[in-house]
Amino acid sequence: MPVTHTNTPAPLASTTPWQDKMQVWLPKLILSPTIVVTLICVYGFVIWTGLLSFTKSRFLPQFDFVGWRQYERLLNNDRWITACENLLIFGGLFIAICLLIGVLLAIFLDQKIQQEGMIRTIYLYPMALSFIVTGTAWKWILNPGLGLENLVHQMGFTDFKFDWLVNSDMAVYTLVIAAVWQSSGFVMALFLAGLRGIDSSIINAAQIDGASKPRIYWSIILPCLRPVFFSAIIILSHLAIKSFDLVTALTSGGPGYSSDLPALFMYSHSFTRGQMGLGAASAIMMLAGILAILVPYLYSELRGKRNA
Amino acid sequence: MAKLDLIDIRKTYPKSDLETLKGINISIEPGEFLILVGPSGCGKSTLMNTIAGLEDISSGEIRINDVDVSGLAPKDRDIAMVFQSYALYPNMTVRENMAFGLKIRKTPTTEIDAEIKRVSELLQIDHLLDRKPSQLSGGQQQRVAMGRALARRPKLYLFDEPLSNLDAKLRVEMRTEVKKLHQRLGTTIVYVTHDQIEAMTLADRIAVMKAGEVQQLGSPYEIYNHPTNMFVAGFMGSPSMNFVPITVLENSDGHACTELTGSDGKAQLLALPDKLKTYVGKKLMLGLRPEHISQQLSHHSETDLISAARFNIEILEPTGPETIAQITINDHAVHCRLAPDLSITAGQDLDLMIDVSKASFFDPDSERNILL
Amino acid sequence: MHSSSTSQGDNGLGRWLIYGVLALMALVYLLPLFVMLVTSFKTGTDIRTGSLISLPQEWVTDSWQAAWGTACTGVTCDGIKGYFWNSIKMVVPAVLISTFIGAFNGYVISKWRFKGSDLFFSLMLFGCFLPFQLVLLPMAAMLGKLGLANTTTGLVLVHVIYGVAFTTLFFRNYYINVPDELVKAAKLDGAGFFTIFWAILLPISKPIIMVTIIWQFTSIWNDFLFGVVYSGADSQPITVALNNLVNTSTGVKAYNVDMAAAIIAALPTLLVYFVAGKYFVRGLTAGSVKG
Repeated sequence: MPVTHTNTPAPLASTTPWQDKMQVWLPKLILSPTIVVTLICVYGFVIWTGLLSFTKSRFLPQFDFVGWRQYERLLNNDRWITACENLLIFGGLFIAICLLIGVLLAIFLDQKIQQEGMIRTIYLYPMALSFIVTGTAWKWILNPGLGLENLVHQMGFTDFKFDWLVNSDMAVYTLVIAAVWQSSGFVMALFLAGLRGIDSSIINAAQIDGASKPRIYWSIILPCLRPVFFSAIIILSHLAIKSFDLVTALTSGGPGYSSDLPALFMYSHSFTRGQMGLGAASAIMMLAGILAILVPYLYSELRGKRNA
Repeated sequence: MAKLDLIDIRKTYPKSDLETLKGINISIEPGEFLILVGPSGCGKSTLMNTIAGLEDISSGEIRINDVDVSGLAPKDRDIAMVFQSYALYPNMTVRENMAFGLKIRKTPTTEIDAEIKRVSELLQIDHLLDRKPSQLSGGQQQRVAMGRALARRPKLYLFDEPLSNLDAKLRVEMRTEVKKLHQRLGTTIVYVTHDQIEAMTLADRIAVMKAGEVQQLGSPYEIYNHPTNMFVAGFMGSPSMNFVPITVLENSDGHACTELTGSDGKAQLLALPDKLKTYVGKKLMLGLRPEHISQQLSHHSETDLISAARFNIEILEPTGPETIAQITINDHAVHCRLAPDLSITAGQDLDLMIDVSKASFFDPDSERNILL
Repeated sequence: MHSSSTSQGDNGLGRWLIYGVLALMALVYLLPLFVMLVTSFKTGTDIRTGSLISLPQEWVTDSWQAAWGTACTGVTCDGIKGYFWNSIKMVVPAVLISTFIGAFNGYVISKWRFKGSDLFFSLMLFGCFLPFQLVLLPMAAMLGKLGLANTTTGLVLVHVIYGVAFTTLFFRNYYINVPDELVKAAKLDGAGFFTIFWAILLPISKPIIMVTIIWQFTSIWNDFLFGVVYSGADSQPITVALNNLVNTSTGVKAYNVDMAAAIIAALPTLLVYFVAGKYFVRGLTAGSVKG
């Protein structure tokens, strides 16, 4: 059958230059609301907060500029100093313990474990909970009268004392316990994904070279997971710095302000104590904290990419 | 069937000082099969995308049937394209894949059905119409991709390395298929490939590209036998053309000749075409294809331009139909094509015949073919 | 195989150790949930006389009814049921709108790149890292100006604005792996911006839509910060109500009611997690922004 090409279907006759123009502008048009909102509600608002931090705003924003006054007040404020110290203790322990548990569980789970799926599900479910729920649960478990302390007493150890929740020296550590419980499973998942991504021929080669299992993990696999360590640290420190719900639910910053954290400090000064200028200054300090972690990370990432 | 004219096409990407396309001029006749070849990064895919309208050109004109389409959107150019990855819509069946373009053009359903029937029978995919692309083999996906292009009966077909994802055997089969299809339908095709055998077997004309420029545009025969420069000569052919630096001499009879030195350091004379007499005393690059150096052939007598010479065979690579041997001439490794049934071993000396009548000669500085 | 007999023996012991540690940790992770559950079914006396992990002497649902309908959350004593519905009224539109916008944004950023779109994407990524404390005060002022202070609509708006960075990231990362040639082929077939989206990309986006919806649902349902700052008495989400309930100090501390309320607050996200955990985990790892 000879094939003729005379009955070619007509190309889109309906298109006009106007419609073609539209095709060029549509993507920009679609993205523009998000661009505008991001520029205003993220970058604009950060600048606004920055401006507020130089004013003496109390219950309402007002723009009498007082220079660095609020920052001076902040650095002379005992509660703020405590909050920052607490953040270092809480953040440091939280990150270290999460990494340790996460790596170990991931390595253990990577040993062709039966029921791996179920175990993973159990380790990760706390991540689906609100920090408020977590705080509520641990507040009950850790309460000195009827909680864990009582349980150990009933087991016969009547001298056991566990009053961290109401002990102003120890309250901040209860935050670590609850936060680790909630987030370590997630770190495990990150590392497990990293382990699964490692080329198994590297491990085979090391085995043929005669390396023992712990040796392989220590000197080959863990170094391969460096990027996972970095992203885990970034995520966890981000979680720690903005940690607000957990401390609210578990200790409310107490006893006194002994377990206060910057995020809680910012909230209570801005919204309940009518110290908006001080609150804004503390928020800017939090931003500085995030940047101090993020900028070196991004810098090394970008440099690494350029070298690659 | 359409005529395609590319007139001084230039393309510079934003934020780049380099021109990706540096003034491409090609005219493609109705029904012609044009192949663009070149190393990766030579601009062949960019050129293809500009013809399709997927990328803008910086200057120049693209004319289809003498109508300037450079400013038109891809859909208004009436072009179909077959992609290397096939780009079949994964959520649609084979039938829906082929019908998509027709539906958008508001073709009546009965016409769509007839068209799909015609194309699927032509490509022998009529039994696959209700499958999803993921349920097809690579070769079948390839056919569907071609079917999708054929179903719209566009003015022009673009093929972007359509066979390179297939395994070797299937690639040869599909190559034949594409050739049959073109002979049967007589469509105008622009086809990008980096496979020079595909280029040689399929093309009416080949455009060899490098660094955004067309190095040579011609029939496969011209490209292979009369390359305009060393790049084209080296790019087409496998094993590629041997380049041997020589100095043109004049022998006692007044003919042009040169000396070839083997690995043993002994020089042998090689007669050169008399056209080269003007180059006496100059250095040239002698381009010899492997098949132009062979074992002594009984039916070939030694003529003016077929010389015998004895060389040490260093490496033998039997491929089955032939044996590739490596020798050294003027300190350069040279490959030659020998018959497979010669009983020789590596390290032996062998009398070879060199057919200079088919050789190319290049200026060592400009790399241009001086006999063209 | 090298040194099979000895390493086999070590392996046996080693495996027991591994299983032991894994099982112990599973218990540690499960214990709080177990404690919450048993406590919520205990009577007040049972709590005071029993231990943390003992089963209830008598299973009662009083505290569940109290938590749902009569417990005091601050000044009112109507339980948390109203707040549960507040959360749903907030979560559903916020999730749908932010997912919808994110899908389009991701489509544009991955497939219709234009000058500046990559730069904008980086700017938006930074938004994912921003502690929300930096925007709390101006946002409060803006909601006030818009007349949306203390309303569910206001909360939806806030969650959409700060959720879009994540939803866009999800869709962009998904679409970036869809070959560009698919879009080119559709363009040559005559399809335009919307046709390509509806007919080609959306039908293959089911996994990422699931991931995004689940991620957004979980984070908005669990949010406390925006809830406590921007909601009014009658628009408070459940997390705020739960916190108020736990911290309302009238009479004897009713831990059983606290636990029942906490479980109710956690139930929707837990349910989603156990039903669609696969997508939840994928969202978590995808949300762990890679620079």
